[in-house]
Amino acid sequence: MQNDVIIKNDVIIRVNNFNAWYGEKQVLKNINIDFKRNKISAIIGPSGCGKSTLLRSINRINDEITSYKISGEIIFENENIYDKELDLTIYRKRVGMVFQKPVPFPMSVYENVAFGLRIHGMKNKIKIDNIVEKSLKQAALWDEVKDELHKSAYELSGGQQQRLVIARAIAVDPEVILLDEPTSALDPIATQRIERLLEELVENYTIIIVTHNLPQAIRISDYIYFMYQGELIESGLTSEIIKSPKNQLTEDYLNGRIG
Amino acid sequence: MKKDKIISFIFRIISYIIFFTIVFIFAFVIFDGIKYFSIDFFTQFPKNMMTEGGILPAIIGTIYLLTTTLIISIPFGVLTGIFLSEYGNNKIGRLLDTAITSLSGVPSIVYGLFGLALFSIALRLRTSLFSGALTLSVMALPIISSATREALSSVPDTMRESAYALGAKKTEVIYNVLIPAARTRIITAILIGAGRVMGETAPVLLTAAVFYSTHMPKSIKDPIMTLSTHIYNVAMAYGKDAQWMAKGTSSFLMLLILIIYLIAFRIRRKLNAK
Repeated sequence: MQNDVIIKNDVIIRVNNFNAWYGEKQVLKNINIDFKRNKISAIIGPSGCGKSTLLRSINRINDEITSYKISGEIIFENENIYDKELDLTIYRKRVGMVFQKPVPFPMSVYENVAFGLRIHGMKNKIKIDNIVEKSLKQAALWDEVKDELHKSAYELSGGQQQRLVIARAIAVDPEVILLDEPTSALDPIATQRIERLLEELVENYTIIIVTHNLPQAIRISDYIYFMYQGELIESGLTSEIIKSPKNQLTEDYLNGRIG
Repeated sequence: MKKDKIISFIFRIISYIIFFTIVFIFAFVIFDGIKYFSIDFFTQFPKNMMTEGGILPAIIGTIYLLTTTLIISIPFGVLTGIFLSEYGNNKIGRLLDTAITSLSGVPSIVYGLFGLALFSIALRLRTSLFSGALTLSVMALPIISSATREALSSVPDTMRESAYALGAKKTEVIYNVLIPAARTRIITAILIGAGRVMGETAPVLLTAAVFYSTHMPKSIKDPIMTLSTHIYNVAMAYGKDAQWMAKGTSSFLMLLILIIYLIAFRIRRKLNAK
């Protein structure tokens, strides 16, 4: 109940005194972040700064790693996601994730997008058809695949595959989409398409993106969170941070002196 | 640079030697016996102390034995492989893994004695198709389970994570994503296992095969003739006039195994091309 008062309506995910370890090695140190609803938040920082780990912790995808330990809380809509009673299946439906390398499942384009719907129990074919079409349209892939929905997803190009996995993620109608360096394996044109897509999607979704492509973060994000060696160094509106970083490390990173 | 060339030359020579030896063995056995092929050879029972007639009961027996073996060993082998790959990262898994790895090093005659003692005698299955199939299944289990495990382990973790990230449960990830992704590799492994099992002689001699039967097996409790044991029996126990039958049977068995392997390699090549 207390959380109801603390969390303002524009915060969708609150990371609270969050620490994480792989075995003995601490990779996240006392992270506190309020991610804002319907904004693009970019987590940036040099390799190994813990930005991917933080993102993976928000989807609890690190649960499978036995040496992974955490303390602190991540609160999504007033619920601690590390609470034992949380239904992980439902939570992951609401907070989806897209990975660095597009990994289509070994099935058709159509079935890839329908996968999430089916595991959440949807059986109505017409309903599934509609959502598949809508999701592919939202992911700006529909026009390219509408005549070949039943061909293997592996026949798509890398850029198309990444839009396919975004379509797959939005098909289950999440509230938040987490993206872990979604364009690092793509060429500049495909990258541009994805970026434009994210700017469209943010009207309906909250987007949290991890990237080590600084110009990309500056282009598309509303908020920037700069991490260094497991700590959150500086955060704020993207426009303000690039103009006047308050911390020396942030300034060094923005100027390419570290990274 | 010169050293590189010499070494690569040596490797090439060695692989050519191995390749041509194998081709020679296959070609020799196949061509040595192919001249005895005829319609009678494939449609008749052996006659007159194996000097006339054909190998029909051995062909049927081999098909029955192989089918029964695969029916038993595929579910056990594939499920064991899934367990090892997806649930086996603990003490029980490692123990099972060690046990199965050691199984694959056991000589086939020992499997035969084991099957004779357990299935034929203790479980009173006597000399029967079922006893032979159970024995061969124990042999095929490590081949199929370790191949299944490797096939599943070769699926990138990112695919597992992508499925989990959509809210899939572990069983859904395994059955809807991982197995389809590993399917071709698993099928290839089963085919190679089938090729191995088809040529096995010693375990079958001890648990399932008879020298000669006058009728086809009617149930899995009946004894059978198989191609491999037929070759052994004819070659060891009958005179000169029967040797043609051993050669013809060898040729046919070799052709069958060759076909199975060629299918398996074709599938594998297609897979690698992807």
